[in-house]
Amino acid sequence: MLLRLIFNNPKQSKMFKRKKKGQKTKPHPSTSTVALVGNPNVGKSAIFNLLTGSYVVVSNYPGTTVEVSRGICRRIDGVVEIVDTPGVNSLIPQSEDERVARDMLLEGEKKVIQVADAKNLRRALLITTQLAEMGLPMVLDLNMWDESMERGIHVDTEGLERILGIPVVKTVATEKRGMGGLLQAVSLARRPTLKVDYGQEIEEGIGRIEAIIPDGAGKRALALMLLAGDPSLEKRIKGELPKNSLQEIHKIRDALQSRFGDPLSYIIGRRRGAFVDKLVMQVVHLVPKKAESNRILRASFFFALVPLLSFALGYKIMDLILFMVLRQFPLPGPLDLILRLISGTASCVLLSLHLYRKDLRTKRTVSEVLGDVAMHPVAAYPILIVALWLIYKLVGVFGAGVCVDFLEDKFFGQAGQPSGGFDLWVAVPFTSIEYTLTHVNFQGLNYYLGLLANKIVSTQNLAYELFLDSKAGLIQVGLTYALAIVFPIVGFFFLAFGLMEDSGYLPRLAVMLDRLFKKIGLTGKAVLPMVLGLGCGTMAVLTTRILDTKKERLISTLLLALAIPCSAQLGVISFVLGRISGLYFALYIFVIGCQLLLVGFVASKILPGARSDFLLEVPPFRLPKFSNILIKTAYRVKWFLKEAVPLFLLGTLGLFVATKLGVLKYMEMAGRPVVGLLDLPPETTEGFLLGFLRRDYGAVSIFKALESTRGGLGPDPIQLLVSLVVITLFVPCLASFFVIIKERGPIKAMLIMTFIIPYAFLVGGMLNLILRAF
Amino acid sequence: MREPRVEELLEHIWTYEEESSGRADKGMVSQWISADAVEAVLEDMQRQGLIYLYNSLIVLSAEGRKEAEQVVRRHRLAERLLKDVLEVGHDVMDSSACEFEHFLSEEVTTSICTLLGHPVRCPHGKLIPPGECCQRARKMLRPLVLPLSELSSGEVGKIAYIVTRHHLRLDRLSAMGLLPGTVIRLHQRQPALVIQMGETQIALDEDVATDIYVRRLS
Repeated sequence: MLLRLIFNNPKQSKMFKRKKKGQKTKPHPSTSTVALVGNPNVGKSAIFNLLTGSYVVVSNYPGTTVEVSRGICRRIDGVVEIVDTPGVNSLIPQSEDERVARDMLLEGEKKVIQVADAKNLRRALLITTQLAEMGLPMVLDLNMWDESMERGIHVDTEGLERILGIPVVKTVATEKRGMGGLLQAVSLARRPTLKVDYGQEIEEGIGRIEAIIPDGAGKRALALMLLAGDPSLEKRIKGELPKNSLQEIHKIRDALQSRFGDPLSYIIGRRRGAFVDKLVMQVVHLVPKKAESNRILRASFFFALVPLLSFALGYKIMDLILFMVLRQFPLPGPLDLILRLISGTASCVLLSLHLYRKDLRTKRTVSEVLGDVAMHPVAAYPILIVALWLIYKLVGVFGAGVCVDFLEDKFFGQAGQPSGGFDLWVAVPFTSIEYTLTHVNFQGLNYYLGLLANKIVSTQNLAYELFLDSKAGLIQVGLTYALAIVFPIVGFFFLAFGLMEDSGYLPRLAVMLDRLFKKIGLTGKAVLPMVLGLGCGTMAVLTTRILDTKKERLISTLLLALAIPCSAQLGVISFVLGRISGLYFALYIFVIGCQLLLVGFVASKILPGARSDFLLEVPPFRLPKFSNILIKTAYRVKWFLKEAVPLFLLGTLGLFVATKLGVLKYMEMAGRPVVGLLDLPPETTEGFLLGFLRRDYGAVSIFKALESTRGGLGPDPIQLLVSLVVITLFVPCLASFFVIIKERGPIKAMLIMTFIIPYAFLVGGMLNLILRAF
Repeated sequence: MREPRVEELLEHIWTYEEESSGRADKGMVSQWISADAVEAVLEDMQRQGLIYLYNSLIVLSAEGRKEAEQVVRRHRLAERLLKDVLEVGHDVMDSSACEFEHFLSEEVTTSICTLLGHPVRCPHGKLIPPGECCQRARKMLRPLVLPLSELSSGEVGKIAYIVTRHHLRLDRLSAMGLLPGTVIRLHQRQPALVIQMGETQIALDEDVATDIYVRRLS
């Protein structure tokens, strides 16, 4: 997705400026250019990384690249610039990212490496024919050769070379195989010799248009694009054409169109498809051998893993239900255990039987079976719950709990207060046995900084307070907060997200949620920004560009700003509410979920415009490559820190100045009537103000304020729930607000804000009234 | 067989109701048939019990409606025949279909309908009024050509034609390689339709799938 643009582009961090598209990356001054072109999700980015040694995000999700990225390859003769382009299905663009790729091809002389998925040769050749019409020297690279062999699909590469008139090579980019051959082939790149015959009438039309447009290698391609009716191209070449020739082209097109019942673009597509089908018949040989997993792996999958996992699944789901309810209504004795066992057995029997009936005797691979189950109309939902639960364990418990505790209390610590050091220990999994290895007598980074500072100035000095004040010191609060609390949570979230992306789970989630998303005016495609929004709203707003219509982009931005809490905030909230009771956390999720659906539903009815068609390629389920996930996570975290840390420091500084000048007191007074309406103590105003900077920051501050007003009793659960709901719905953080301005324009951003702020308090007020009534 | 101009008028009244879901009125008739014949034809039709006149409104009688449907059916079937089988251009298709509708006998219509696999929509995307043969076919045997969305999961079909008025949708489908002649397998229907085309799985909306007509293979 768009993430590419964020990572590869240092300029991008200046989020305040609106930039013109197409200026993002400067071409390098080099001898020649090689462009990587191909269908979505065939591995162009993986090959780009191998050729250039740089990194762009690679994932198992179609459309991950939406911008052109450039790099230098020194391994082909001379210095060559490599250009990675967004995946296309046709060179007549239907979306923004396809247009980017096509325009890049039209610019100047270059060589092309067409990357193809060897097992989907037909779809690749549809593009090859169009590239041939462009007349660029090219090489066809059949990537994922291993997967096609596994499936018994043999491509006669020599025959293909003969027919196409270009070098054809085989690679497996993820395993770095075949790269040498590809590098050699690039210098042998030639113009393809194949030519599609579109039938007498259309060929005549092509001839007449070719007579009008200026000379060049890609004349035939241009003529065909004009015949198919491509408004973006017409705008592009308008300047180069003699006067009135555009009208003439229209005339030729309309005359030709009247002789056919279907749109010309469709007829051209059909003829091309028929040509390619014939070609495929000649060069692709199917060997009736299905991919087969290892026998032992298969047996253990069907007879051990499936029953065990499905039992654990049912058990865990009942456990979750009980966790939500049990603290309020305790069950007598062993009843809860019995319930869990029943649920576990039921799910074990159902899922196993389903799989045995369907897949035991077929020779489908384990990953194919898993891929199907992940979007099965019934089984997909428990699997979703497990996925969410695993993410919760990884991000919420390990990241937000263990790591944050350690980093915040032990590693950073407090100035003027020794942390007491920590133990290094080893635990035996699934038991409570722990061995303490040694005690590390490290009192916390901030403690030592405090000692050091104390040598120079006293603790009452303004400079000391500016950095190490326990309420608003830049290091003690701002930096520590960013690195100790947000960094681990976001880091682990991105890790989980990378896993979902590379395994191919995400597009299956899109399939599952399409119906639901339709209700709120979106399509399944919006899963990516929405799920990413649970990690970081800022990044998510950028990825809304993958959506096809303006309306969808606006709705998803609105929902991201309103109702999707980011992982840092969710971590804090689940921690805080989980301490009171699971029921309150469930209630929180319920209220926020309802708002998401309600506002989305209303917005989809009110906003003008149409929803686009849902047409998504579902890539195969794969075992993700861990190294790729780690690299990707590192890139995303780096980007995140670059965005977030300055804002944290800025916010803390603002808070510090406001406290010192006494402005905060006035602001609290001003906010008093508003928070009073929600039955909240005035101290929480500070939290809401901080919420402008970071919502999670605000949540912590509210929690502290509520805790302190009640003395030792702990916060009042209703007050806590209401305030956390409000701060979640309330304004997005500063960073994502800037991105909203940049992506949607200042007017829409302001409209979103003027809706969100009163609405958040309205929902909070109503929730308060309802809860108090019981 | 009725007079051609009566049939012509019945067809116009029927399609007007289909398009605007309102009643035709007398003022419109002059656009459809020559103005000086209006009164005579209307009177004729009233006498034959095909229409009622309420002030200026024209209402089809039960019999008139049935007749009108048959005319429209003949017209739209003719269009399908001309386009799918004879592959003529748009202009020719329109004008010839207008002639076809008047001389096709019941028997010939039925055999054309059966030949085409009881099509549901005309090339313009409008519904073809079903005849007796269509209803019988639906009951007796499963139709050969049906929307992708009506295939059950696991079934294999070959795309027969795509009916859509959205150019964008057509272009996106053909860019994906979903073209007439392509063999696809419906992988699952719920929660969203997923089809298998070669080694590619594609998820799509139900309303896109209703536009794709497939010939059942399995």
